[in-house]
Amino acid sequence: MIQFYRHKLDNGLQVIVYPDYSTPMAAVDVCYHVGAKHEDPNRTGFAHLFEHLMFGGSKHIPDYDLPLQRAGGENNAYTTNDLTNYYLTIPKANLETGFWLESDRMLELDFSEDSLNVQRNVVIEEFKQRNLNQPYGDVWALIRELAYRVHPYNWPTIGKEINHIADASLDDVKSFFYRFYAPDNAVLVLSGNVDIDESLRLAEKWFGQIPNRKVQKPALPVEPVQTAFREKTVERPVPDTALYLAFHMDDRKSREYYICDIISDVLSNGNSSRLYQKLVKEERLFVELDAYISGDHDPGLFLVSGKLAQQVSIEKAQKAVWQELHKLQNQLVPTAELEKVKNKIEANHVYSQMNYLNMAQELATFENIGKAELINEQLDIYRSVTPADLMQTAQKLFHPENCSQLNYLAKS
Amino acid sequence: MINREIAPTIRNIDKPLFIPPEKRTLDNGVPLFLLHAGTQEVCKIDFIFKAGTWQQEVQLQAAMCNAMLQEGSQQYSAAQTAEIMDFHGAYLQLMADQHYGTVSLISLTRHLPRLLPVVEDFLKNPLFPENEFETLVQRRKQRFLLENEKVKVLCQKKFSELLFGDGHPYAQTVKKEDFDSLQLQSLIDFHRHFYHAGNCEILVAGRFDEGLTELINRYFGGSDWKQEPAEPATFQPSNSPTKLLHVSKPDAIQSAIRVGKILVGKEHPDYLPLQILVTLLGGYFSSRLMANIREEKGYTYGIGASFFSLNEAGYLTIATEVDKSYEKATLNEIFHEIELLCQQPVSDDELERVRQYLLGEFIRDLDGPFALAQTFRNVHDFGLNYRFYDDYYQTLLHVSPSQLMRLAKTYFTADSFYTVIAGKN
Repeated sequence: MIQFYRHKLDNGLQVIVYPDYSTPMAAVDVCYHVGAKHEDPNRTGFAHLFEHLMFGGSKHIPDYDLPLQRAGGENNAYTTNDLTNYYLTIPKANLETGFWLESDRMLELDFSEDSLNVQRNVVIEEFKQRNLNQPYGDVWALIRELAYRVHPYNWPTIGKEINHIADASLDDVKSFFYRFYAPDNAVLVLSGNVDIDESLRLAEKWFGQIPNRKVQKPALPVEPVQTAFREKTVERPVPDTALYLAFHMDDRKSREYYICDIISDVLSNGNSSRLYQKLVKEERLFVELDAYISGDHDPGLFLVSGKLAQQVSIEKAQKAVWQELHKLQNQLVPTAELEKVKNKIEANHVYSQMNYLNMAQELATFENIGKAELINEQLDIYRSVTPADLMQTAQKLFHPENCSQLNYLAKS
Repeated sequence: MINREIAPTIRNIDKPLFIPPEKRTLDNGVPLFLLHAGTQEVCKIDFIFKAGTWQQEVQLQAAMCNAMLQEGSQQYSAAQTAEIMDFHGAYLQLMADQHYGTVSLISLTRHLPRLLPVVEDFLKNPLFPENEFETLVQRRKQRFLLENEKVKVLCQKKFSELLFGDGHPYAQTVKKEDFDSLQLQSLIDFHRHFYHAGNCEILVAGRFDEGLTELINRYFGGSDWKQEPAEPATFQPSNSPTKLLHVSKPDAIQSAIRVGKILVGKEHPDYLPLQILVTLLGGYFSSRLMANIREEKGYTYGIGASFFSLNEAGYLTIATEVDKSYEKATLNEIFHEIELLCQQPVSDDELERVRQYLLGEFIRDLDGPFALAQTFRNVHDFGLNYRFYDDYYQTLLHVSPSQLMRLAKTYFTADSFYTVIAGKN
């Protein structure tokens, strides 16, 4: 049982405190419930660009990083399709500096044309570095485009195209801030060497006066059920041909999510897993082969992706993967094999508690999914999954009408 | 209403606690280091052998010998080893670097009695099966070819070659053909020479009791394990007369840049203040290079300077990736920032910030059992002890602007740097 404490401020800000006195450090994590899926389809990449701007100074603090470093702190942030998370770690004696910095930028940013100009450029270089100048860098963008027709998971967090970022204006920035950055659309998590009462007092002192902004998020378009096989083939200057199969699955809160997670582990978690033993080592059809779930909070994707061994054709590789998927549909996974996967999930649950910052991020993520308390229900749900569940879900998911296939051919 | 213009008072950061591990010796003389730390019933056990590229006779020998250990032993096939580890939620990490071949086992403490005999068998009696070898070589070769598509990898490789010279173990000069010519026998030989009790140390970090040390002694402390220490090899760096090189990658969108030089080793009196100087230049978010080249000019997503330490040399690397059109301007700014460090003393305010930041980092580096294990290796592998950390703390408190400028003038003369650019011509 993971012990933590929760308190809601009058302005709607949820505060969660998770003490771990084995560390001399404290973490301050602020998660805003806004991600790339909330963007305008003609302004993609905005949530992430905005994350950069959050470091350009706030109303009363011209520079975010300098005072934090002065206090011995370190910080970073990440944006996903579902959320934007900001975190810092700091020696416990200077915890209040973290409250001061995070609350001021929740209150109001220093919207400046200069900062926007520079960060636009930085993000465009990031776009090139991560997506254009990396072998296989555009894979996610291609898969999303193929698998989603109307839901905003259609585009990657970094954005659909560079122009969307280049065109962002200061007015766009301002309106995004007031629409989504608010105490009533965020959770504050304190973890590490933190006193509960002191944390709540500081939360009230620094965050308590920030106005509730009555954030309203319109419902997102629901992706219609896929009814026909989709396939796309591209050619790129990469050393290995790669194959990607994406299947639609249910959302993060559904039981199906956990079943899919276990199926993906049976297929490819660890060196003893099916795909690795059979298709990588025994048949040598792939040099790398993985099955995993996208982890999205709205209905997401179950993926199988692999790099083909030299001289192996896409047809042969794809047939071999389907054989393994069909096996899941026709034969129950042996109890011992399921047990192995569950043991691993339980061990990982213990490992994850070794780090206070990791715990802050997990609690914030679960709060975004629904509520942080979900963290203590995870193991029970995983434990309750049966071989019959796996078979049933495999039968539901793995058929061509639910599949988007990307053939990523190596240009010789 | 609170006045948000006034920052909360910054308190001094307490001196971090650094407690060295307890040292024991197994019955056969293998040193065992014990670090009790953490809140969870988890352990990481490192088996550390002096078996890195420094010891190898042909390319890939150290790395592939290390990787093949888990691919089948007398009592367990590769599949069985994997099955047992996965069933217990344990992780094996195998790694060979310049000086060491390491096998790490991360596991819930309660499963160690079941897992240690497996590790024992593959450390002492690996079989190096032919078919597993072929699969692994093929996979590693394809991964190698993939890595060679990245400008930063091409750039880093050429940079290491300029710094240390072809043939030196620190130069990354593996070629595609080396995968084809590698002989299985050379891995068997390498294992026989370097993976044995006389060349091994064991480090345990996490939560455990005396029972574990007895287990380790039972499996690894016997006289059945060969014990002659291996002969140390010596190499001298032969750095190149060429100071600037371009590596061509015609389809590249961005260019990777490396600028740097060999500095001093960890035992040198200038080492600690030089670390601080390099941090100031490019080792944290508000460093000179980041502030200028990312935050002011927007040329790059990131730029950093690092002072790496290997057993026989320390070297500075400034690394970034930029659009081809910013290549020249970026290099100009890098050398401008280096020049500034030689010309003007750093302000008290900036030095105070770096000092505090590094104090915070110091505590982070000592936080948690795995970090503590790394902290130990960062001195122990260099023949140093925890006095090093006392000295570092004192240096952080007392380093002065004039001292840093003196060091910059001594070590950062513009014509002593090597520059490599990988990208479009």
